[in-house]
Amino acid sequence: MSDTSTIDQPIGGLMEGITDAFNASAVEAVSGGEPAWLANRRTEAWSAYERTPLPTTRLEEWRYTNLRKLLKLDRLGFDGVSLDAAVATGSDAEPFDLAGAPEALRAAMEADHAASGHVVEIDGRIVHVDLDPELASQGVVLTSLRRAVADHPDALDRHLATDALPASRGKFQALNAALWTDGVFLHVPKGVRLELPVRVTRYLTKPGTAFFNRTLILADAASQVSFVDEGLSADFAEQTLFSSAVEVIANDGAQVQYVSLQRMGRGVFHLQQQRTLAGRDSTLDTLNVALGASVARTDLNARLLGPGANSDMLGLCFGEQGQHFDHNTSQDHVAPHAKSDLLYKGALDGNARSVFRGIIKVHKNAQQTDAYQTNRNLLLSEHARADSLPNLEIEADDVKCSHGATVGQLDQEHLFYLMSRGLSRDRAERLVVLGFLGEVLSRLPLGGVVEKVTRIIEERLQHG
Amino acid sequence: MSDTPILSIRDLTAKVADEDVDILKGVDLDLFKGEIHAIMGPNGSGKSTLAKVLAGHPGYEVTGGTVTFHGDDISELEPDERSQAGIFLAFQYPVEIPGVSIANFLRTALQARLEEGEELDLFDFQDELMARMEMLEMDPSFAERPVNDGFSGGEKKRNEILQLAMLRPSLALMDETDSGLDIDALQVVSRGINRLHEENPDMTVLIITHYQRLLNFIKPDKVHVMLNGRIVRSGGADVALELEEGGYEDYRTAEAEAIAEAEAEAQEA
Ligand SMILES: Nc1ncnc2c1ncn2[C@@H]1O[C@H](COP(=O)(O)OP(=O)(O)OP(=O)(O)O)[C@@H](O)[C@H]1O
Ligand SMILES: [Mg+2]
Repeated sequence: MSDTSTIDQPIGGLMEGITDAFNASAVEAVSGGEPAWLANRRTEAWSAYERTPLPTTRLEEWRYTNLRKLLKLDRLGFDGVSLDAAVATGSDAEPFDLAGAPEALRAAMEADHAASGHVVEIDGRIVHVDLDPELASQGVVLTSLRRAVADHPDALDRHLATDALPASRGKFQALNAALWTDGVFLHVPKGVRLELPVRVTRYLTKPGTAFFNRTLILADAASQVSFVDEGLSADFAEQTLFSSAVEVIANDGAQVQYVSLQRMGRGVFHLQQQRTLAGRDSTLDTLNVALGASVARTDLNARLLGPGANSDMLGLCFGEQGQHFDHNTSQDHVAPHAKSDLLYKGALDGNARSVFRGIIKVHKNAQQTDAYQTNRNLLLSEHARADSLPNLEIEADDVKCSHGATVGQLDQEHLFYLMSRGLSRDRAERLVVLGFLGEVLSRLPLGGVVEKVTRIIEERLQHG
Repeated sequence: MSDTPILSIRDLTAKVADEDVDILKGVDLDLFKGEIHAIMGPNGSGKSTLAKVLAGHPGYEVTGGTVTFHGDDISELEPDERSQAGIFLAFQYPVEIPGVSIANFLRTALQARLEEGEELDLFDFQDELMARMEMLEMDPSFAERPVNDGFSGGEKKRNEILQLAMLRPSLALMDETDSGLDIDALQVVSRGINRLHEENPDMTVLIITHYQRLLNFIKPDKVHVMLNGRIVRSGGADVALELEEGGYEDYRTAEAEAIAEAEAEAQEA
């Protein structure tokens, strides 16, 4: 498997995805007022986008997600406000009025436990940032990407869409790098530890539109931070694209947890690209919870770059009628003595469908690698479908690797056992499904997340 | 003891849902309030099938006969309705349910027994759970462990008794609760059952076992022998002792003779 951009495609594939909304002048518009390094980076990303054909189902990585059918690029609008305009309208300077926020956004934020800081993003723009002043005085930076361009240009020039998610990684990585409108920048200096998570809540209001955000998390040596990234929206009649690019860099000995909580409404096409770079002796764990959207595609590439690095990669999805999930993961062992352990689980009702494709790649020098990958799926209806494609590519000889995948139905013996204790069939089913998915959450018991996700799934099971 | 049995089984026949041959071939059994009965019988004779049919397992189909519980026909009831009505089955092979903790599961089970709108008192629940676990010499940490997940054979059986203690049924069907237990665990478990029976002398207990040794700890009022889907002998505690001595051979011979006789009769007719 290789990056699609490195494959030279025939002429027929060129210029795909260029529309009234996505084109060179849109790039120009968003980059207005930006420093040259950034404007150039956008332009380069845009030409990578132009050069790269839209992935087809002939590519292994897109085999079960047919973009030609599922993604209506030419119907999407885009309003890329330039940095000038964003700063002129105040952006994150104005205090955010939670009371006046949409109900779902307010409920999501109120349900959260304490945090080290909050970020609120509405329609691709950061409207609020707060950070514990004590942490700010220790040098922690939590800010909108727009502000960071002005305030932390060196860090951004060095890390934004370079080490982790450069435009060269694929068509949509390129599109996001060209058109992002805002996002989050978090920098935790050496040795600083955040006891409470940073909570980001993103909300969309405009149907038929494309939104592009980026997140850059830099954890310096021996620092510690957890980051909960929640996305919500109403249901939309028109397709709405929500593209998120997440770059997480954990330096030596850092401990980082990144949690994505995807609760987008129907009509949303969620494209999420994540890349994590784990340095020597660092811990870099991820949890992807996919509950919403009509189509949700997540690419997670975890690179273990330093000896002793450790990544737990957890994921769960719960799908109902009309939902399509596609998880594409790779555990990329570059350094020796590193460990990665992946567990993705999905429960699917109605005609929901999920695809899991995971590869463990162990490079030649990555001796003494421990890499595990498990994908389990539970089909709650005869119309649901799960495809699981685990893969190994091992070039080192002294490694411990395993992978396994299962697709099964609710076990009637489990239900009978619970019912024989007086639980109704519905309750018994709910308990089994929650237990099945809960195993994932219990591996990353971050304050509030387990409760929130459990409650959401419980509610959906009740109404389903 | 009242005159009407709390559980009355008449000529019960049952088979595996998608197969043809009956496993239970005409079971008759009456259990009166507060009695302790034991069923013994060789492997494959249908003991677990009887227990599961009584608990309403959907994998079996009743093909004939009746089961009345507290005077009501329960053949149409779902497993949860039977549980609510007071039937409890301690499984021979308790299943592992990943991610569902014992505490959560029992809380849900007890909540399900309450009227609409009534809320389980969580403090009382917690206190009782802890007390019962202590009685069964279970480590308190078990409460938060997923049901039977990674439990040893003995731990699974204690967990069944724990559920029995918490759910307080009027009829407890104990399917080989003693198998797989070492002598210490056997004592803990049987003390537990005796204690629950003392607390609630109205509780009727049906013990399925292969071993006389359990019946040294729990004294049955009646012992039945099951063979090939039927109860072929019923008597006092001495029946178990007879079995200990002579095994099932005599019953098998008697049954074979009976079958031959029946066939001969059928041919004559
Ligand atoms: N679900 C099933 N599918 C197929 N056959 C079954 C099923 N359940 C029971 N049987 C068969 O019915 C017969 C009785 O089984 P059952 O489990 O009731 O015996 P048992 O008396 O409990 O035996 P043991 O002492 O070994 O526990 C056996 O021949 C068994 O194979
Ligand atoms: Mg049995």
